Amino acid sequence: MRATIPLFALLVLLAGAANAQFAFAPPAVDLTGEWAPRVYNTHMDIGDYTGMPINEEGRLRAQSWHPDQLDLPENLCRPHPIDHGLRVSVSQLRITNELDPETRLPVGLRLHVWWQEPEQVIYMDGRPHPSPNAPHKWSGFSTGRWERNTLVYRTTHLKEAYLSRTGVPKSPKAEVTTRMHRYGNLLTITFIIHDPAYLTQPYIRESSWILDPNQVIPTYPCEITPEGAIVPAGKVPSFLPGQNDVLRDFPTEYGIPFEAALGGAETMYPEYIKKMKTMKVAPRTTTEHYRRTQ
Amino acid sequence: MARRGILLVAAVALLLSVHAAGQGRGGAQNAPPATARAAAAFDMTGYWVSEVTEKWRYRMLVPDKGDYQMVPLNPEGRKVAAAWDPARDQASGEACRSYGAVGLLQVPGRLHITWQDDNTLRLDADSGTQTRLFRFGGSQPPNAEPSWQGHSAAMWGGGEPRDRRDGFGGPAQDPTGRLAVIPAQRKESDYLKVTTTRMRPGYLQKNGIPYSGNALLEEYFDLFSDPYTKNTWVALTQVVTDPQYLIEPLIMHAHFKKLPDASGWDPTPCRADEPR
Repeated sequence: MRATIPLFALLVLLAGAANAQFAFAPPAVDLTGEWAPRVYNTHMDIGDYTGMPINEEGRLRAQSWHPDQLDLPENLCRPHPIDHGLRVSVSQLRITNELDPETRLPVGLRLHVWWQEPEQVIYMDGRPHPSPNAPHKWSGFSTGRWERNTLVYRTTHLKEAYLSRTGVPKSPKAEVTTRMHRYGNLLTITFIIHDPAYLTQPYIRESSWILDPNQVIPTYPCEITPEGAIVPAGKVPSFLPGQNDVLRDFPTEYGIPFEAALGGAETMYPEYIKKMKTMKVAPRTTTEHYRRTQ
Repeated sequence: MARRGILLVAAVALLLSVHAAGQGRGGAQNAPPATARAAAAFDMTGYWVSEVTEKWRYRMLVPDKGDYQMVPLNPEGRKVAAAWDPARDQASGEACRSYGAVGLLQVPGRLHITWQDDNTLRLDADSGTQTRLFRFGGSQPPNAEPSWQGHSAAMWGGGEPRDRRDGFGGPAQDPTGRLAVIPAQRKESDYLKVTTTRMRPGYLQKNGIPYSGNALLEEYFDLFSDPYTKNTWVALTQVVTDPQYLIEPLIMHAHFKKLPDASGWDPTPCRADEPR
């Protein structure tokens, strides 16, 4: 009996240590709940690549993009890539705990966004990312950790997609590091997008949400129309190089030098304001241009 | 006998836990730092440059009069925005309206951040040659006249104990019965919060979108290193509450890249008709 007591004490201490060190790090901050978006962002216009550190390859692909591509059957119900869907459209957000289906222990967080209903699971139980050859998805594969009170997670295995609603591309080599920070009832997410194929440097942008416990996110039914119903069957709308006839509408309407609207890292810094004064600006003859709002 | 042993072990474990808690942030051996500088969650001092990745045409250019499509402006705000006249502002000594506390960090430029003293963080902006002072320690607004930069009360945020009890549903208490903060509840501060009031009426954007003298500006600064370039960044979230001109609080963002030195520092006066 006497030997049992120290043994039990040891077990209690070990159990306590295990409880403190179990694989899923207890949350520093509760991020779960219903979050209502405060969306005030741009890049809804064809030809608006402003503030994007894209390279020549990215620019060439963006210029070949045609808005009718969105009406192809395979694109009608396609969700945005998760890093994009969280920022644009109507991105009501729900964050819940993700539980292991067998043990019911927490393994991370699950994000659900209204428009096209993408879901993203952020694993925080120490599991590795899959092989580079594993399937790529709209929400990719994410693992996270706490940096003090900030949730930091890395997303890989994202499908080839886009950085804006108007065709600025993002390659399947891209990965996104996301910082999720709660300030009281305000949630700010900072996206750091790294794409060796189309960006010359990380592309950083932010969005915020307000806690809204009464928010009800409806379902998002989406129906695919038959091939040929909107776009003639077999046609893939696009612009050949140099033949995009709506590219200049955006800079013309807003009085922006055409070169500046084409983006690039140089255009993102204050010095570029002086440089723009030496550039030619087309007469502001256009007042309408293509705009995509979702 | 065994039961007594279990109880003894449990009692010792609880006492050790609460004793350890007493040695923490509130304990005598680890008294809280006496100054904001010593308690800083991170080091924001140095030179920074704004990187404009969103709302580019609103920040790198002077937007058109009446372009407030991303601002929840109410009818009175729209009326004021429609009356914007940069030439009049320049002539009447009001050219700094778009360089007030609300708009300053949206204007592209460089920042120089230093500790003016142990409890005051100083932010100099080359655009508009403006200075903001973030005062820690529960600083109250003076009765002085409102100014472009107003009065900014600062605190390191995020260190409030997390909402967690003793793990078994009850409150954690120290040996005297007072509510205790156990180690698992502790958090480290990790952001800077700045609350600014007593501002002169100014502009949210260069094109005369107004905020009033009653506006409240709340700002949250997050410092991080990006994993790809290892550059250091400050990400800023701004919340502007102004019932006089806004139907709901406006949330704005900006971020800044740390620079090794003062190169590129380009002081410019307030200009009503220029982006910076």
